Amino acid sequence: MMSRRGWSTLVALLLASWPIPAAAQAPQTVSIVPVQNLSFGLLLPGFQNAVSIGDVSRRAVVALAGNGPVDIAVVLPTALETTSGDRIDLHFSASDAALLSAAGSTLSPLDPRQINRVQLGNDRTVLFVLGGTAQTTAMTRPGHYAARVALIINHPGT
Amino acid sequence: MNRSIRILALLGAIALPSVASAQSITGSINASADIATVFSFGAPSALNFGSVTPGTAATASGYIPLSRNIGVIYSLPDGATTGLLTGPSATTLQPTYTCGVGATNSTITSAFTSCNSTGNQLTLAAPTGVTNEFVIFNGSLSAAQTNITPGNYAGTIRITATGN
Repeated sequence: MMSRRGWSTLVALLLASWPIPAAAQAPQTVSIVPVQNLSFGLLLPGFQNAVSIGDVSRRAVVALAGNGPVDIAVVLPTALETTSGDRIDLHFSASDAALLSAAGSTLSPLDPRQINRVQLGNDRTVLFVLGGTAQTTAMTRPGHYAARVALIINHPGT
Repeated sequence: MNRSIRILALLGAIALPSVASAQSITGSINASADIATVFSFGAPSALNFGSVTPGTAATASGYIPLSRNIGVIYSLPDGATTGLLTGPSATTLQPTYTCGVGATNSTITSAFTSCNSTGNQLTLAAPTGVTNEFVIFNGSLSAAQTNITPGNYAGTIRITATGN
C-alpha cells in the first residue's frame, strides 16, 4: 500500500508527463456574406446570354472570411423559373467561378460544378464569384425568372 | 492496487484532449433574368394606287409589320376618315378598304371588324413565342371616284396597336 506522500508524487509525475491542451481549442469560424446576385438582366427571346466571372455588374459575388482550409460546394439550379412555371435553362461550365482577393485580383479559378478546397488565411476576406449562361428560346414568354444558388462551406476538422 | 488503477484511469480520462469537429455553414444568392416584351411595328409598305386614269377603277395594297410576344388590340383612331386621301383644292377621295392581319404581307387571316370605325377592331391573344404578323389594308377606288380633279392625292392610314 503506497503512502500518501507516494501517491502525491505519482500524481504529480503523471500530470507533468501527460499532454494536456494548454487551453480549450478556439472554434474555427467561416463567414458567408452575399454581396451581389447573379443577374442576367433584360433578355430577348431566342438568344443565349452568358455572364462571365469578369462581368462585375452581373456576376454573383459572395464574401468569405475565415481561417484554414474550407471546402466550397455550390448547389447550382438547372433553370430560372417564373411563378407560373415557365423556364429558362441555365448552364454552368468549369470556368464559371473563381476566388478573388478583396482588391479584385484572381486568386484561384474554380469549377462551380465540383467541390473546391481553398485556403482562407488570417481572417482576410476573399470573394467567391459565379457566372453562368441562360438559354432562352423564341417561345420564352416575357416575365421575371429567378432561381436560388446555395453555397455550402465546410470547414473540415483537424 | 485496483484502487490505484482506477485513479490512473480517471486521470487519463480527464487529460484526453477534446476532439475537433467539422463546421459547415450555408449561404445563398439569387439568380434572375427578365424576358423583354417584344412589341413593335416595323417599316410600312405604302398603299399606292399609282397613276390612275380618270374614270377607271383602281386597287392597291399596303401593310405594316408588327412583332410581338404579348396579346394585341388593334384600333383605328381616325374612324370614318381612315386612309382619306386629300388632293388639289382640298378635294378628298375616300377609298374602300378591307383590312386585317395575316402571317404574310399579302393575305388577311384575321379581319378587322371595320376599316372605317373607331374603337377596337381586332383582339389577338398572346402567342407562344415571338410572332411576326402584318396589318394589311387593301384599298379600292371606283371608276366614278377617280373621275375628279387631276393631281396628287395622299393620306395616312393610322393604326393603333395596344398590348394586351
